[in-house]
Amino acid sequence: MRVSFFREQTVTTVFESTTLKTDPLVRRFDDVRQLLPDADQPTPIVRLGRTAGARALYLKLEWLNPFGSIKDRAAAYMLSELLPEIAGRRLVEASSGNTALALAALAGLEGIPVTVTIPEGAPIEKRVLLRMLGAEVLETPDDLCPVDLPGDGAIALARAIARSRGGEDYVWTDQYSNSANVSAHYETTGPEIWRQTQGQVRTFVAGFGTCGTITGVGRFLKEQDPSIRIVAVEPNAGHRLPGLKSFAEASEPEILDRTVIDQVVRIDDETAYAKTLDLFRQEGLMVGPSTGAIVAGALALDDPALTVAISPDSGFKYASFFSQYLDQHPQRKDDQ
Amino acid sequence: MTDTLAHDEILDTSGLLCPLPVYQAGQVLNRLTNGQVLRLVTSDRGSLQDIPALARQRGDELLAAEDQGTTQLFWIRKGS
Repeated sequence: MRVSFFREQTVTTVFESTTLKTDPLVRRFDDVRQLLPDADQPTPIVRLGRTAGARALYLKLEWLNPFGSIKDRAAAYMLSELLPEIAGRRLVEASSGNTALALAALAGLEGIPVTVTIPEGAPIEKRVLLRMLGAEVLETPDDLCPVDLPGDGAIALARAIARSRGGEDYVWTDQYSNSANVSAHYETTGPEIWRQTQGQVRTFVAGFGTCGTITGVGRFLKEQDPSIRIVAVEPNAGHRLPGLKSFAEASEPEILDRTVIDQVVRIDDETAYAKTLDLFRQEGLMVGPSTGAIVAGALALDDPALTVAISPDSGFKYASFFSQYLDQHPQRKDDQ
Repeated sequence: MTDTLAHDEILDTSGLLCPLPVYQAGQVLNRLTNGQVLRLVTSDRGSLQDIPALARQRGDELLAAEDQGTTQLFWIRKGS
């Protein structure tokens, strides 16, 4: 089921008699959903030899998922579970962009329309991409519902859309409360890391966001070896790191399991953006700003043990943010 | 009495839960020109707090509000 559910989808075309069969070994597929990852077809991990020095710090490159981010996993799991009950309704989801992009792409393949409530501060690149995928995009102020869900206006709006008029018109994937978000990482990301490190991973670092990654991977790795350290990176209130959450201003998601987390490292925007540029320039890794925060958090541990950190997405969707950053930091324009 | 207040546009959000009425009212008010009046109908009692707060936050003027039990009516003049 779930990822394999999509991978096993067969595509019938008029050219079927002459079509080559799907063969992952030579990276030949019949359907984009067959590119979704699992332990047999993982996203890569790459050692950060220049920014981490002698430390064995590996970055798991989640932008190489078919729809461009780690959220492809949760979206595939949530959608495959909800497919039977959608039945002519629209999907609605609150998202800073990546979950929505994956959902819009996957739902589009099933002919399901999608409405997205997205924080007003999300980068224009994501809002445009969502429209290109045919999603209805509702840009939402964070303070839309200050009493009930302070700082989470997009979630409040998605919930209201899903529940209004008897809840007959929409299905809410609700990534912040949906256990399939955790299962996706427990069943794919965690086993991939375990296998890719030959069971030698000692520390895992991911960001606080929906908390599907940290809870799912953390739970899986703790089951393999309870001494593996699980570290969460949390931004400051008022941050500009899409996908990450500061629980000083946002509610903790229902799916967060704090029992699997050993340590929380707080990283400010300046550190995160500077580290993102380091990764571009020193490692050739064109990552998004949340990756900069997570790598900065991993480096702050000063941990010699084998560490795997998550790179949730690429920097391509944040060009407008980095345009401003470079203008504000002229010394970094060409400092390499 | 408020039924006689003039308005330029009506938005009926009956059946919609907060904050949807706030969101949709904000969208309509963005479209109106300064001085025009929106008559808003809601059925979520949370609107009795949310809509006055919306008007204050935006710099619009809440001309009148009427709680009819299952329905709430608001007249909002777009500010400058």
